[in-house]
Amino acid sequence: MFKKLLLGSVLALGFAGNASAETINILMEGVPDTEFVKQLVPEFTKETGIEVNLEVVNYAEMHTKLVPQLVAPKGSYSAIVVDFYWVGEFVKAGWMQPLDDRIKADNIDTSVYIPALMDLVGQVDGTTYMLPFYNYAMGLTYRTDLLADPQNQADFKAKYGMDLKVPATWDEYLKQVEFFTRDGMHGVVNQGLRPDPIAMEWSNYLFANGGEYHDANWNPTLNNEAGVKAVEQYKTMIDKYGPVGSASFSFDEAFNVMAQGKAYSYITYNFFRTAYDDPSKSAVVGKVEIMPVPGPTPEQGGSLNGAWGWAIPKSSPNPDAAWTFLKWVESKEIAKKRALAGGSPTRTDVFDDPDLNAKYAYYPALKQMLLTSHNFPVFTYTPQLVEVLGRELSLAVAGEKTASDALAAIEAEMAELARKDGKLK
Amino acid sequence: MIGIGGIGNANAADRRDARFGYALSAPALTMLFLVILFPVVSALYTSLHEYTLIAPNYDTFSGFENFMLALGDQEFRHSAWLTAKFVVGVVLLEFVIGFAVALMLNKVERFKPVYYAILLCPLLMNPVIVGLIWRMFLHPNLGIVNYLLSTVGFGPVNWLGDTKIAIWTIILVDIWHQVSFMIVLLLAGLASLPKEPYEAARVDGANSFQCFIHITLPMMRTVIVVTLLIRLIFAVKTYDLIYIMTRGGPGISTDLLSYFIYRTAFVSLNIGEASAMSIILLAAILALTVYLYRYMRAIR
Repeated sequence: MFKKLLLGSVLALGFAGNASAETINILMEGVPDTEFVKQLVPEFTKETGIEVNLEVVNYAEMHTKLVPQLVAPKGSYSAIVVDFYWVGEFVKAGWMQPLDDRIKADNIDTSVYIPALMDLVGQVDGTTYMLPFYNYAMGLTYRTDLLADPQNQADFKAKYGMDLKVPATWDEYLKQVEFFTRDGMHGVVNQGLRPDPIAMEWSNYLFANGGEYHDANWNPTLNNEAGVKAVEQYKTMIDKYGPVGSASFSFDEAFNVMAQGKAYSYITYNFFRTAYDDPSKSAVVGKVEIMPVPGPTPEQGGSLNGAWGWAIPKSSPNPDAAWTFLKWVESKEIAKKRALAGGSPTRTDVFDDPDLNAKYAYYPALKQMLLTSHNFPVFTYTPQLVEVLGRELSLAVAGEKTASDALAAIEAEMAELARKDGKLK
Repeated sequence: MIGIGGIGNANAADRRDARFGYALSAPALTMLFLVILFPVVSALYTSLHEYTLIAPNYDTFSGFENFMLALGDQEFRHSAWLTAKFVVGVVLLEFVIGFAVALMLNKVERFKPVYYAILLCPLLMNPVIVGLIWRMFLHPNLGIVNYLLSTVGFGPVNWLGDTKIAIWTIILVDIWHQVSFMIVLLLAGLASLPKEPYEAARVDGANSFQCFIHITLPMMRTVIVVTLLIRLIFAVKTYDLIYIMTRGGPGISTDLLSYFIYRTAFVSLNIGEASAMSIILLAAILALTVYLYRYMRAIR
């Protein structure tokens, strides 16, 4: 194995040295959507003669690898992918090139993107820095077989006086969680690990209760009825309706509990949807579906949005070739091919494509989810806010702080960060 | 005259030798300076400036502000205190277990290489892998540890999700991983002890316990201090296990200092303050090292 790798890298180096054609380097995270890009890259090289070198690493390494290259006057990455976490920081530091002129010159229509995704990983204060690459909005995955069971339906009706069906509101969902916690089953499984698993999952609880992180002036709006309810519900889920230990689960452990058929529901990133139907990973093939996290009313959603965007760094050695690649990879044709392979799309025309809807029955639900999803606060200190949320929420779940105390602490630190960033006056 | 001349010649020869010695060690000293002293000085310099990854420059001299910020931060003080308790816990427990096993192994005649090989296995593993393996073993519902406990009637233990248990879980995993280090070092010390004092004591009628207290312990003192010192320095730097297993949670119950400094540097991007924290940590370790070193010299 090692020898093969070594041989491979030597060969790659050799080719890189010989190739007279242009090469673009992109640092990417090792996730399914990267794989789908990789599979299609030979087509691009055939069309344009530009070689593409994708450097695929683990998420934890990405930021530390990127920053030195972005700070340098001439870095080694032609194009980059940007997590919405980093957008505020990258813009503030001035590391990304504005794309507006290129978009205008090539007549690219950015209105095809889901608006919430364009806000998250596209435009910042009116300037376009990125093209949305793929989304990782969170949805509610639940067991369809348990909902359809006549005995369950009769029991549920007798207990709550309402029908057991796909939940239309958050309150209805909470009743189902309570109901399904019996006979060794858990109503829900949570990912309570600090910092991002708990912060991201809890955000859905906040939105589902009608809460938001801040008002239009960036004044934090967490320590109120919706926020307190969200924290208390989250704690109840972990203590009462979830498996022992979910306060320290990351998403893979929580997913395993759900995939082993031990829980009714799990709020998670939508790219996990396909994994439920993979027999090597799941004991509940064909029994799990995804939907938007229900909100306070049937019209409102509670899902948290998340996405990656393509960008060209200021330090890019060959921005023109990078733009050629971005145009290609985000074209309707290639975006569709990536989605057909199992990718998580960002374009409405891909969501509406008949071929894709024929292949994936849950596409309308995914589109609905993105249209009703809420964005996490994006500013220079997003990663720190996630840290603060992780710490305080974890303290509240552990019972070492009341919901209100934890939220007050988050509000104080969030206001300080927003003030430091000039968002809050 | 001859004598003085002789001394003069010897001095000249000594100086030549010394010069030759310096020339020989210069490359090594230069390397040491580059890879050890330079980063330390650079960290010290950074800690006196407002240096963040968003604005990576030394334009703003801030004096001791970063140090004041760190020391005034309740989270930093919590992490420091927790780290102190953790270090004392793991080092003492590993020492007691390690010494006991080393004493037993010292008596073993057959299959010694086999025992060595088994004991060294955990030590050869990367801490990240150790963390991942144990996270799987300790999964409350799907892990093997709770399954085995359930077969003898124990309910599921919330290894990593309970604020009171999590730190002990980390300590246990650290012991599993690092105790062999103690065993190997202490065993090497025991094996090098002379046999004669024991024979003499036996003749005088001393029992095993008396031999241990009055011969083994005093003769092993230097080895023990060095072993404790090395292990202590490593324990202060514990980061990987926390990163993989708990991320400092649940709550703040396992938020050790190294992980806190990492977050200050790479999440908060505040390299200045993180450097200040590292310098504080370095000073604490250095003070402890000097104390133990002096103690060792004194008892010799």
